[in-house]
Amino acid sequence: MRNPLKSLSDNKRTLGWALSLPAVLAILGIVVIPVIQSLIQSFYQRDLSRPQLDAFIGLLNYQNLFADARYLHSMLATFRFSLISVIFELILGVSIALVLNKNFVGRGFVRGLMILPWAMPSIVNAAMWKWIYNADYGVLNALLTQVGILDQYKIWLSDPFWATALIILANVWKETPFTVLMVLAALQTVPDELYEAAKVDGSSAWQSFISITVPLILPVLMIVSMLQFIWGFQTYELITIITGGGPFSTTEMVTLRVYATTFRSLRFGYGSAMAYLTSLFILVPVVIYIRSAYKKVVEY
Amino acid sequence: MKPSRLFSVLSVILALAFVLSACSTPAAPTVQPTTAPVEPTAPPAAAGETITVIFPKHEADIKGAFESRIKEFEKESGITVNLIQSDWDSVANRVVPELATNGSAYDVVEFDNGWVAEWCGAGWATPLNDFMAAGYTDGMIPGLVDLFSCPDGKLYGVVWNNDTRFFHYNAAKLTEAGFTEPPKTWEEFTSQSLAAKEKGAVKYGFAPFWNQEWSLGNEFHFWTYAFGGELVDDKACIVMNKDANTLKAVQYMMDSLTNGVADPAGLTYNQAAAQDIFLKGDTLFLPQAIAGLMAYTKDATVSKVDGQIKIGLVPSADNGKSAALTLPEAYAIPVGSKHKEAAWKFIQYMTSKETNKLLAQEIGILPIWVDLFSDPDLTAVYPFWKDFQAQLASARGLSKLTWYSDLVDISTAELHKALSGQQTAQEALDAMAKQLSAYNCVP
Amino acid sequence: MSIRKLIPRILLYLVVLLIVIWTVAPYAWLVISSLSHKIDLVTVPLKWSPLRLTFDNYRSLFFANGETSVNVGLFFTALKNSAIISLSTMLICMPLGVMAAYAATRLKFKGSNGIILTSMITQLIPPIILVIPLYVIMRKFVLIDKQIGLILVDITIGLPLVIWMMRGYLASIPADLEDAARIDGCTYMGALVRVILPLAGPGLVSVMIFAFIASWNEYLYAYVFTNVQAKTLPVLIGEFSTKLGLEYLKIAAAGVLASLPPVLLALGFQKFIIRGLTSGAVK
Repeated sequence: MRNPLKSLSDNKRTLGWALSLPAVLAILGIVVIPVIQSLIQSFYQRDLSRPQLDAFIGLLNYQNLFADARYLHSMLATFRFSLISVIFELILGVSIALVLNKNFVGRGFVRGLMILPWAMPSIVNAAMWKWIYNADYGVLNALLTQVGILDQYKIWLSDPFWATALIILANVWKETPFTVLMVLAALQTVPDELYEAAKVDGSSAWQSFISITVPLILPVLMIVSMLQFIWGFQTYELITIITGGGPFSTTEMVTLRVYATTFRSLRFGYGSAMAYLTSLFILVPVVIYIRSAYKKVVEY
Repeated sequence: MKPSRLFSVLSVILALAFVLSACSTPAAPTVQPTTAPVEPTAPPAAAGETITVIFPKHEADIKGAFESRIKEFEKESGITVNLIQSDWDSVANRVVPELATNGSAYDVVEFDNGWVAEWCGAGWATPLNDFMAAGYTDGMIPGLVDLFSCPDGKLYGVVWNNDTRFFHYNAAKLTEAGFTEPPKTWEEFTSQSLAAKEKGAVKYGFAPFWNQEWSLGNEFHFWTYAFGGELVDDKACIVMNKDANTLKAVQYMMDSLTNGVADPAGLTYNQAAAQDIFLKGDTLFLPQAIAGLMAYTKDATVSKVDGQIKIGLVPSADNGKSAALTLPEAYAIPVGSKHKEAAWKFIQYMTSKETNKLLAQEIGILPIWVDLFSDPDLTAVYPFWKDFQAQLASARGLSKLTWYSDLVDISTAELHKALSGQQTAQEALDAMAKQLSAYNCVP
Repeated sequence: MSIRKLIPRILLYLVVLLIVIWTVAPYAWLVISSLSHKIDLVTVPLKWSPLRLTFDNYRSLFFANGETSVNVGLFFTALKNSAIISLSTMLICMPLGVMAAYAATRLKFKGSNGIILTSMITQLIPPIILVIPLYVIMRKFVLIDKQIGLILVDITIGLPLVIWMMRGYLASIPADLEDAARIDGCTYMGALVRVILPLAGPGLVSVMIFAFIASWNEYLYAYVFTNVQAKTLPVLIGEFSTKLGLEYLKIAAAGVLASLPPVLLALGFQKFIIRGLTSGAVK
């Protein structure tokens, strides 16, 4: 009785599919129809407030997107926002994780506390930062003037540079814990013996970080950074609440364009095309990245 | 949801994981997909009369006055009301997908003034003329009836929230600055602001709410109207870039930010922030405040200006006319509703003169019936309503266009760019007209 | 202790302190806000501690509109919904995700890359565009405003996260350990449970917490797919706004409370993150 089953469960292919299928079905079973429907819709003109104009228009929506300066600008703004956020989240996240991996009193508590920003509902996070950045009664102005860094209150969000910087700050604050905890967990799999051996060989702390720690946490780092890059592209509440896309559309992200086009202007065809073109834009770097990341993982 | 079903799915998965995990024991390779079993489609809402109603909470309704009225309606009519009340955005984001997909989940829905033309075009609402008696709307504020009529001349919504905005000013600070009367023209508005600022009575004349967001579209309309300008003519042709008064309005907005009349931080404020600043006494004017602002001024946890605030007319344009903005919200019946008769009964009850008066007495909503404004019971409670009267006559709604959302989307971006000093007023208006040219003269 | 050992020690504690301040300061301000009257918060110059403590903002969460209102108890209903939906999503995603991740990393069968890639590509499409087609389907199956409906859509968010994160951890565990177990007569699954998972324990716990929070904080789907019965906490919090803007103080109070369950969960599971390390490495 046990042999046929055992051989079955030891067949890589059979077992592989058996293990993967539930997850695949759970994901695709729910999204596959919406994905296909909205993809098809992107080839149509479908303005709900002008139903008489509904028609199949092929790639026209996509063609129009390339002439839509505001959309293209929002792509750029989103890309910049996501990329800078990821860089800071990685640097900060790995540094904090390394510190929290050391032995100190209250380590467990501090580690648990790290989850706090991540645990905050995004809408609360956005409302909180908006209040903090308020030009008249915000904490940021109060703090910086009372410490003496600023002479007078500054209107942070009306300056394109600061508006971008501050939404990135709010995003980094919220998202870094993800990097920290993921890296921290990866660090736990590094056997102490490796470090001791390196110490015996006379490596400095920095050398052993580069030669031992980095390769071991690399798979996790690559995945974390990719996920956060993708999430950056989908940030909505944070932007819409803090700046609304302002000043003069400099912080306007793709999600805001998609929302305005579909939920407000009710142009579902154009909105879908916008979403898919954006997905395509991120798909290319992500696939290249996955392939190289995959090779790295295999190599070591 | 049936918890038992969920847990059976869960336990299957967990059991599976457990079985599969043994060492040197047979593992069961068959795996069930986990897209949980779907419950059969429920029959349409129980026969008899249950209606589902969705509309936002009224700003002033802290006591649940609307709910008590609805309970009363249930008692009198025998119709059960399934009430969904939340904030405006949530209501909008639920109603739109439901109507866009021809749903029948709601029988009475929020119908915002900004949606009228779009809904007329999409045919989402039921014409109410089929239900109401002739002459039913006589005695309602005419503007409100017009606003919710479609090009076919039929009425599609009855207003439940007459959200007209009024010019409020801080009389105590104005006196401190040496003035006895609020400004009659925009030149006076400027000079009074600067004088009050000079004397140290206030920090700024007013705090605008010109953050780049949806409500900047409202502000664009208000300032244009206040200067006697137009955005589109009555054939929906774009005139914003040809109208000298519209240009003057945008120029005034821009100048106010640089000459010290307006708080430059207003470029990042929403209406709530601007109101907070007025309520703490830092500004002299709130040119467009909600009708219920007086109640806020009396609340010491949010206000320092109790007894100082008065209501005036919006300063006049060159033609001597004052204008204000009205942003009413109505009840409509979706075409997909299966209980239209009951839905109409609900609308009729909730907007009747009696209910209107009761709600006004309880929470101070602004009536939709003209003669309620001179009702002695109400003027006794709200003496300042007499100041509303003159303004109500000149209040105007937002542009009624099928492309209203595009107008807002584009004009707010260009306007914010101008207000931030990145382009001139004329450039902004030209840019709007150019980007909207596809809709020129499309009603 | 010698000076040479003491200085790094002090430095370490200073850095830890900085980290704690960076993490907690904005939240602390949220707590202070939630205990203040609005007029005190908007007054310049700002006072750092509330002048007059008030619990009104919290009280308003529980007794929203007086006693006649349907809104009473909304907070608890939303809390219960959030808890049921997030826990269920987590419990479904973990086993499914770990199995799929294991299959993709260790078994490397034909098609495994396709699976992984597909699960990731679904993440690239902004949910905002899927909302309406999904809405139609869910309405057809009477899943609107049902906990089970939200669990189903949350799985599509949580599961790829679990698969991808677990894949990272499984990849960082040396293959020889598993081979040793296989030689000892374990099936692949046996090796997974006896050898790999204990080693990946810290990662497992972290991924689990993140799967929970992904669902706990999911906003867009919950916002459109629920009305009354299945409304979750973030949706309820988002409703604390008027036509004029967000009601910051109520949001602050609700936000302070809504952040606590995941933090408590993280603190509770903290010891497993450390223990996983010791117990795993020895075997």
